[in-house]
Amino acid sequence: MAETPKTFSTTLAPHIHSADSVAKRYWGQVAALMPLVLAACFFRRAEFLHALLLSLISAVAFEFFSAKLFEKKNKFYHGEAVLIALLTAVLMPSGCPASAIILANFLALVVAKEFFGGMGEYLFHPVLFARVFLQGGVPGLMAEPMVFYGNGWILAAIGLGGLLLLKQRRGYWEIPFLYLAVYSFSDLALGCRAGDPLGFFTGVLFTGFFLLVDPVTLPLTRKGTRWFVSGAALLGALLSPRGFSIVAAGSAILLMNLLTPWLDIWLRPIPHSSRKLLKEGRAQ
Amino acid sequence: MAASKSVGIRLERKKDASLLNWNLKKTYSPEKVRVPLRCGSRPCVRAGEHVQTGQKIAEPDRPEEVTVYAGIAGTVTEIASIPDPTGATITAVTVQGRAEPKSAPVVWEVRKGWEQISAGEFMMTCQHLGLVTTDLSSEPVHAKVKKNAAARTLIVNCCEPEPYITCEQVLLLSHPVEILKGAELLRKALGAEKILFAFEECNFEVGELIKSKIFFLKWDHAEARAVPALYPQGLEKLLLQNWFPGKEDQAVAFPASTVFAIYEAVAHQKPFYERIVTVGGECVVEPRSLWLPLGTSFRDALHACKGVMREPDKMVMNGPMAGIAQADMNVPVTAGTAAVLALPKEIVKEDPEEPCLRCNLCVDKCPVGISPVMITLAADHGEFGIAAISGAEACIECGNCGYVCPSKRPMLKKIRAAKEGLKTHRIRETAARHG
Repeated sequence: MAETPKTFSTTLAPHIHSADSVAKRYWGQVAALMPLVLAACFFRRAEFLHALLLSLISAVAFEFFSAKLFEKKNKFYHGEAVLIALLTAVLMPSGCPASAIILANFLALVVAKEFFGGMGEYLFHPVLFARVFLQGGVPGLMAEPMVFYGNGWILAAIGLGGLLLLKQRRGYWEIPFLYLAVYSFSDLALGCRAGDPLGFFTGVLFTGFFLLVDPVTLPLTRKGTRWFVSGAALLGALLSPRGFSIVAAGSAILLMNLLTPWLDIWLRPIPHSSRKLLKEGRAQ
Repeated sequence: MAASKSVGIRLERKKDASLLNWNLKKTYSPEKVRVPLRCGSRPCVRAGEHVQTGQKIAEPDRPEEVTVYAGIAGTVTEIASIPDPTGATITAVTVQGRAEPKSAPVVWEVRKGWEQISAGEFMMTCQHLGLVTTDLSSEPVHAKVKKNAAARTLIVNCCEPEPYITCEQVLLLSHPVEILKGAELLRKALGAEKILFAFEECNFEVGELIKSKIFFLKWDHAEARAVPALYPQGLEKLLLQNWFPGKEDQAVAFPASTVFAIYEAVAHQKPFYERIVTVGGECVVEPRSLWLPLGTSFRDALHACKGVMREPDKMVMNGPMAGIAQADMNVPVTAGTAAVLALPKEIVKEDPEEPCLRCNLCVDKCPVGISPVMITLAADHGEFGIAAISGAEACIECGNCGYVCPSKRPMLKKIRAAKEGLKTHRIRETAARHG
């Protein structure tokens, strides 16, 4: 019989934990983005590679310096900065200057994320905040993302990435489909203005799979998330004058981000023990 | 009887190791026991006095309390305060066993006409023979029966949703008829109409065994019903909530091991001084379920299973999801000890806490439908009103939220802080209202 120590660790239950972690979640999203990134590298070659490298370098640098500035532990290994860099690169338009890419990463990582409290605390989706801010600030330089222009392979890559995300089972599976359904229905109701169906589906599916999976900016219940996504799709369709527009979709999501704290309160879960009392109250 | 949707986690069960060896014929006899006395009972033995196995050592001071019995024969050496596994300080009677020769196993006399026992006699027997429920609440059986006199259904809970624990399963496989007869005694005492045996759907052999015995006894009023093998489905509160939604007061649940103790007390007049305990975990040489006298130290419990093969990082009473970690091995086995687990570092390792990602997993996996994330975030900011409307007080502390959290936040600690904060907040509000 081996000798045993006299005292043991006495932390509270549970004493076992799932294998899930913050880093696995972010790197999982990065992995799901890889088919799209590879497809974009293949079809847009030097232009996208340039934007991607610049975005990655600037994101890592801003993450490092913001950790110093806000006296936090550098958590680059979580992969959040890499995810933000990839999404920023994907959302940048063709012919975008280097300064705009660096500024987008600064706005996403420092302004939208760290100024609002850092990981898990921010109110707005950092990448969309940066993209919409740049659209407002320098509209002449900004256009639709270069990777969205009609290409079946890009759409297939988004679909493959979406399947990878669904396989990871780390979000609600219905979110991208609900977004696609509500957006398409709203678009039809408003007069079927989608000029380029391929571009439309590419944009909507990308938004549904990759921009509506950031749990930090989504409501705290499944029901709330469904309302959020439906609202974002409806607003996105209303705000885009001709077919799908990433700025309109992004602005809609940012507007819904403002509603998230209220959705959290309005659509909070009701404990099973209180349901009977509520029913009795309603009956009276 | 509408069953509501079952929510939970499919955990790795880790029960095979302790199911390899389940001979329950003999009680392990340690050299020393420190029998914990209940609050409201006073010792009736003195230091130096000799006691026999099953001899009364403490009497109840209050009618709702029970008598306490010695689990081994020997000499009372000390009556002193000791820490119990829940962290509270209790009075315990230390009995040092006889070195040689070991006393012969005690044989209890069968009571004549035990099947026709009246409700009054049943209650008296339960109180005098020290019967308490074998869950963490350790409530006196006669008090629980009295409190649930309106119950129309008796649920015999044969579920063990926590990993490693197999004591109820082993007891059921060894003594199915005794448990059924105990349940019938309890049903009559309660005045209930029906008995439901709850078993986990993955334990089909337990379910089939109960069903066959019900068929053999030709009982129309009994039924075996499966519970999804999801943690924490199978806990008493959730059985009542899922099977009797909104009518929880019409049913009462007892663990199968309590029902077996009732059978032994009524039919054989055997006092409650021992219970079946699973000694397990990756560190234990020969994990198994065995009978241990109440008051056996965790060290002796491990010794009964040939000790540990490597140093445990945590000693846990009951399961790894909702069990209580112990600082040392000297704490005694109590009526609420279903398992003694010696867990290694790789199983219980704790990663540093990260910020909440608001991923909603804790909300989706909560079996009582509360919002752990809102409670903990609200408590962090001192917003106890929001913690209250998010269901802080309805939390059953099952540990699901802490298990699934990717940020490894200490959810239970935060929810308990929210509950405490809420109490203080309410006291202040009441004081302010009354001037």
